[in-house]
Amino acid sequence: MLTNKLVGFTCSYTPLPLIHAAGYAPYRLFPLDNSKDSAGHILHDNLCPHVKKILDRGIDNNTPEMSGVVFMNSCDAMRRLFDGWRKARPNDKAILIDFPATSDDSAINFFALELSRLWKELWEWNGRVGDLSSIKQSISIYNDLYSLFSDVTSKIRKARLKDGNLKIQELYNKASTEPPENIIPILKNLQASINSALDNDSNSVPIFLFGNVLYELDAFKLFNDCGAFICDDDLCTGSRLFYPINITEEEDLFLSLSKSIFSRSFCARTFDPKYPLKFAEDILNKAKACNAKGVIAHVLKFCDPYLIRLPIVREILKENSLPLLVLEGDCTLRSIGQQKTRIEAFIEMLR
Amino acid sequence: MMYEYFKNLESSLEKKINETPKSPNARKKYSLEVARIGKRLYSGKDKIAWTGIGVPFDILNTMGITSCFVEFVGAMLASTGASGNFIKEAENTGYASDSCSYHRAILGALSQNLIPKPDFLVGTTLPCSGGLAVIENMARKFKKSLFVLNVPQEDSLQNIKYLSDQLKDLVNFIQKETGINFDENKLKEGIKKTNKARDLMIEAYNLAKKIPSPVDSRILKDFGIVTALMLGTDAGIEVAKAYRDEFQAKVNSGESGVKGEKIRLLWIQNRIQFRYQLEKWMEEEFSASIVIDELNDITWEKIDVDDPFTGIAKRIISIPFNGKAEKRIEHLKFLAKEYKIQGAINPCNWGCRQGTGERGLISDGLKEIGVPVVNLEIDCIDQRNFAEGQVKTRIAAFIEMISN
Ligand code: SF4
Ligand code: SF4
Repeated sequence: MLTNKLVGFTCSYTPLPLIHAAGYAPYRLFPLDNSKDSAGHILHDNLCPHVKKILDRGIDNNTPEMSGVVFMNSCDAMRRLFDGWRKARPNDKAILIDFPATSDDSAINFFALELSRLWKELWEWNGRVGDLSSIKQSISIYNDLYSLFSDVTSKIRKARLKDGNLKIQELYNKASTEPPENIIPILKNLQASINSALDNDSNSVPIFLFGNVLYELDAFKLFNDCGAFICDDDLCTGSRLFYPINITEEEDLFLSLSKSIFSRSFCARTFDPKYPLKFAEDILNKAKACNAKGVIAHVLKFCDPYLIRLPIVREILKENSLPLLVLEGDCTLRSIGQQKTRIEAFIEMLR
Repeated sequence: MMYEYFKNLESSLEKKINETPKSPNARKKYSLEVARIGKRLYSGKDKIAWTGIGVPFDILNTMGITSCFVEFVGAMLASTGASGNFIKEAENTGYASDSCSYHRAILGALSQNLIPKPDFLVGTTLPCSGGLAVIENMARKFKKSLFVLNVPQEDSLQNIKYLSDQLKDLVNFIQKETGINFDENKLKEGIKKTNKARDLMIEAYNLAKKIPSPVDSRILKDFGIVTALMLGTDAGIEVAKAYRDEFQAKVNSGESGVKGEKIRLLWIQNRIQFRYQLEKWMEEEFSASIVIDELNDITWEKIDVDDPFTGIAKRIISIPFNGKAEKRIEHLKFLAKEYKIQGAINPCNWGCRQGTGERGLISDGLKEIGVPVVNLEIDCIDQRNFAEGQVKTRIAAFIEMISN
């Protein structure tokens, strides 16, 4: 369904196929750094810059026209963003969807009910009644998108194509703000032309990059310039955006979607209580799997879900002799630019 | 060391209470029960659990588990003046200095092996993401099983059922982890005690609303959040009754908590946990009294003893910190009106995305009903940067403003 009616979203756990199936293009509200700094008045300055900059955009009306915004109750800051958004834009349609912190069966069943609540609400925003078959179609489109992204990404990364990560991020950003139908043909072209289009970059040092929000192309350029090659990532604005969704004829669609969302790679705020801080081992395993020589964490300031788990990640990586560089970000290029010397020194050390 | 500390505290409080059984002793009885919980946690004999806030302590108590939310440790360390070292320790081991200091203090104490090993842990998504992350850290460190309660935002039927089912799973989890059999009748008895304590607390709070109020600024400090640990027990009833009786006696004799009470204040969220003189100073300088704390309220209905899990689920969801800011603000407005307050103090505990994060919304909300708020920037646990003089200047200006 190609449409230019937008529904905003702010978290990569948002079920994009549902928004798409209800007749909207999901539009990620990136924390752009071009609005007046005013969110602190509504909330407080000690919330993560991701959330504050999105709210700045809302206060500044620095957004395209949107039919509504879907918020996920994923962390304190996100919940506050919902509150702040309602204050700043009381006439906007907005919904806060509960998203359990753990991945047990009852959480999966509950989240399925939340998804069905979202589905109804999206159609209310539309003034029409939804048709479940459209969900299947949208899931199929998003599955295509996922397959293309994983194929293109793995080829680019395997071949260590110079500027490849920039291209991938550019497409992730586009896929976050435009209908998937716009991105699929681009990915197909890229898939076909991969070998000839870009140069090999074998001198760079393979790095595994993880964290929450990092989408600015200049940041990826900086990694390149410092001699790093991102051989895999685990970012909210990167590989965690798209994931395979398995549906069957017999199972409720919302339940299938819920299961798929809970089967994808988790960020720090979601976990399995049976394996506390498995997140740290997951980082280690992913870094090993892509033969990274080092790990870079890009974590936003004031982000409790990451910051409180980071010391254990550091410990595990250290035990496994994988060097870690932590970059604390604030959603401005300035902050990452200031880290250039540290990144260069880190890469030099790994050579 | 900690065991000795609580044991000594217990015996000295017992002695004081026995020496003067007729004089007002609600706060002493409260402190005595807190000391007893602390003693059990550090005894090495009792079955214990570390938890998040909002956990159903009545279920745990009736199953014979001594349990406590981890933030309590942060508060306790601050009250003994020891939190600074532990916070420094946590920061040295890589925990960000921007996070809540309750949590940094616990993580510091954890790395110093000062937290007793629990039999299991129960985390909650309430009130904050940081708290849950700390519990996950602890479960890993202790290699002990962890159960997490996902608390939904609103009290819809769907959400209540989800949470009450989780509570039943929690009971099964505890049985498995401890070998203790769940006894439905014991829970029923416990719920009767919870309800009884609830009634007494409501009576005490209603008395606190009187003008002048029988409370001073300190007597109900941390009361609501800490007495939750005693739900389902006789101790909970005993403490609530002591408060009710003490307030009733004062109201009967026309005695106010603060002499010549002039200014009535609402304290938002956590109190300052280290020793300081702010409240006493406000009483003495301005006859100003904190008559109500945000967390000192009963927001839940009596629990049906024949359907305890539903009632407990509703209680957990009703906690004002849970859910959207508008619910919390409505509750604050309600308290402001009920207690006829003239102004509110928000300490804005540094690092708290919950309390501080809503600062602007709370100020605007209370302003709508004509209640001004003074936002401070205090770290309620970390004394190291506490600028008492500056804080006093701000409060003095605020009180002057509301007095006019
Ligand atoms: S960056 Fe962290 S605190 Fe901010 S929205 Fe994401 S998970 Fe929440
Ligand atoms: S002060 Fe805030 S961040 Fe700290 S434990 Fe309490 S709610 Fe959580």
